[in-house]
Amino acid sequence: MGCLQTKHASRSPHLLDTREAVALAAETSFTVSEVEALHDLFRKISNSVIRDNLIHKEEFQLALFRGKKQQNLFVDRVFDLFDQKRNGVIEFGEFVRSLGVFHPDAPEDQKVAFAFKLYDLKQTGFIERHELKEMVLALLDESDLDIASDAVEMIVDRADTKGDGKIDQEEWTEYAKDNPYVLRNMTLPYLKDITMVFPSFVMHSEISETDMAV
Amino acid sequence: MVEGEAEAEAEVKKGGVLQGRYELGHVLGHGNFGRVHEARDLRTGRGVAVKVLAKDKLLRTGMMEQIKREIAVMKRVSHPNIVELHEVMATRTKIYLALELVRGGDLLARIARSGRVREDVARRYFRQLVSAVDFCHARGVFHRDLKPENLLVDEAGNLKVVDFGLSALADHARADGLLHTICGTPGYVAPEVFRNRGYDGAKADVWSCGVVLYVLLAGSLPFPKDSIAAMFIKMSRRDYRCPPWLSTEARRLIPKLLDPDPDTRITVAQIVETPWFNKPSVSRAVTAAAAEPPAEAACSAKDSGGGDKDELPETLNAFHLISLSAGLDLSPLFDVEGGPARGHREDGMRFATREPASGVVSRLEEVAARSGGRMRVTKSGARGVRLEGAGRGGRKGRLAVAADIFCLAPSVLVVDIKKDGGDTLEYRSFCSEVLRPALKDIVWAADPHPAAAAVDAVRPPSDHCSGS
Repeated sequence: MGCLQTKHASRSPHLLDTREAVALAAETSFTVSEVEALHDLFRKISNSVIRDNLIHKEEFQLALFRGKKQQNLFVDRVFDLFDQKRNGVIEFGEFVRSLGVFHPDAPEDQKVAFAFKLYDLKQTGFIERHELKEMVLALLDESDLDIASDAVEMIVDRADTKGDGKIDQEEWTEYAKDNPYVLRNMTLPYLKDITMVFPSFVMHSEISETDMAV
Repeated sequence: MVEGEAEAEAEVKKGGVLQGRYELGHVLGHGNFGRVHEARDLRTGRGVAVKVLAKDKLLRTGMMEQIKREIAVMKRVSHPNIVELHEVMATRTKIYLALELVRGGDLLARIARSGRVREDVARRYFRQLVSAVDFCHARGVFHRDLKPENLLVDEAGNLKVVDFGLSALADHARADGLLHTICGTPGYVAPEVFRNRGYDGAKADVWSCGVVLYVLLAGSLPFPKDSIAAMFIKMSRRDYRCPPWLSTEARRLIPKLLDPDPDTRITVAQIVETPWFNKPSVSRAVTAAAAEPPAEAACSAKDSGGGDKDELPETLNAFHLISLSAGLDLSPLFDVEGGPARGHREDGMRFATREPASGVVSRLEEVAARSGGRMRVTKSGARGVRLEGAGRGGRKGRLAVAADIFCLAPSVLVVDIKKDGGDTLEYRSFCSEVLRPALKDIVWAADPHPAAAAVDAVRPPSDHCSGS
């Protein structure tokens, strides 16, 4: 249910539309207040370079690497997955829905599926051996680790338990269940504290008491 | 404002559920800005207290900005003796604060019941109070309104300070409302606060701690509130009497706390060194533990996860390795001014080594051994070593450093070092001044001759790795 007022239509585009907040809360593990707090974070990131309330890749990189623009295969993948419409920018709705997967209360299978898509670089439905190797090399490079190429092959082989050169969804799901640490990055405990880290919403919230009690 | 009035009628009441999470129970009490409900977190079944604040009252009294600021501050002060703020919610007309529920009532009710408390009981409360105060001061947060009404006692008898960082809201409701008027706030405020010339929040909090201690031991206020002016004069002249039943150590401590000159008044660091504070408690051994900051006490023993000589480092496979990427760690997104800043990747240190695990472990153990008692080993094994600052450590909690050891390839280990507690700056200087130099010669830097590395990499596994 909602308590819709026409005046929302005329509000500044910088403010979050109450209907959108309520809808996003219904779709994710976030409460309406958490969605409002996230909007504050979104505004900060999305206006850091271009003031257009959209997160461009450059802004995403800046936020993740503390002001240092840095090329990183994994950041590119995360950005692409957040950008559900694939129009090169992350909109607020996409931001909230994607972060919803990282909520400590979000279902485990969402996290497993998100990580699979992340690693399926070419989106073929399989994590292929060459993709895995590309990611291993990217990580070694990022960490300034230099190891022999046959050692790299061994590391990759160890993950391909079936030995058929690719990992499908099912194999990944099994694997993630047995090795929960590979999903460690898929949960952000910070999201539980979001209303206290970004408390500005308490001043300008337009949520009605009826929406609060849903 | 017809809409607003209709809104007020539709407000969430007992039996209602806030945002699908908190089911409101009966009203615990009323404050200046609204009421406090007992509530239940439907996700966990846990009891919480929900404080409802009316926005129009906050706006009228000019408190809105302050509330916003203080909510962010309160998140920084998570301590076993401070009531925790779990979550904040808001509507057009109200702000809801979900707080830790403390069921035992407040200290004032306790004193009212028994007149005063025994000295060892007072010491236990006072230690916990000082521990909480010290913790907040180290984070730049001052209470400014410490008094027994703001000190709750939980069912286990532990003190919980209410409204740290929310002093503007210091009206935490009590179930009983006993003795409300006997101890008004003026009785607890330091003399320099009255002077209205600006004051040091830390010093003022120490004064209030002194009054609280006096009330606990004597059962009455040191400076009766005849009038503010009369009280001020008495404070300035140290005109109060210590009851005859106080111990010598207590008689020595109280004047140091109730020193009208903030410059000579005892500091928190000095309080914890006084004989009265340190007197071993006769009845309960839990005191010290409860007053300790939230250290990683769970990892205190060497045998937790380590010590097994047959244990080998875990072998990293591709997915585990990839998951170490900084690009997959989204936590920096939330790292804003005043926001969380724990264990950021820039503070980490990761390197490869051809040293066997036992060599890495002994290097790290040596760091502790050579620290002159500054660091101790709390966990040690082939899979990782954890070092922790000894004693009280830094004021932001003990420094703790965790080194995880993984096997990357035969004869190649990866050591991943992260901060596991304490102050970030202290950690950084520890890394650059102690850790890096100590580990320098075992770090296998990117090899300019990959061929040489390849030779090593095909050597059969030695004691480096567990079977994959």
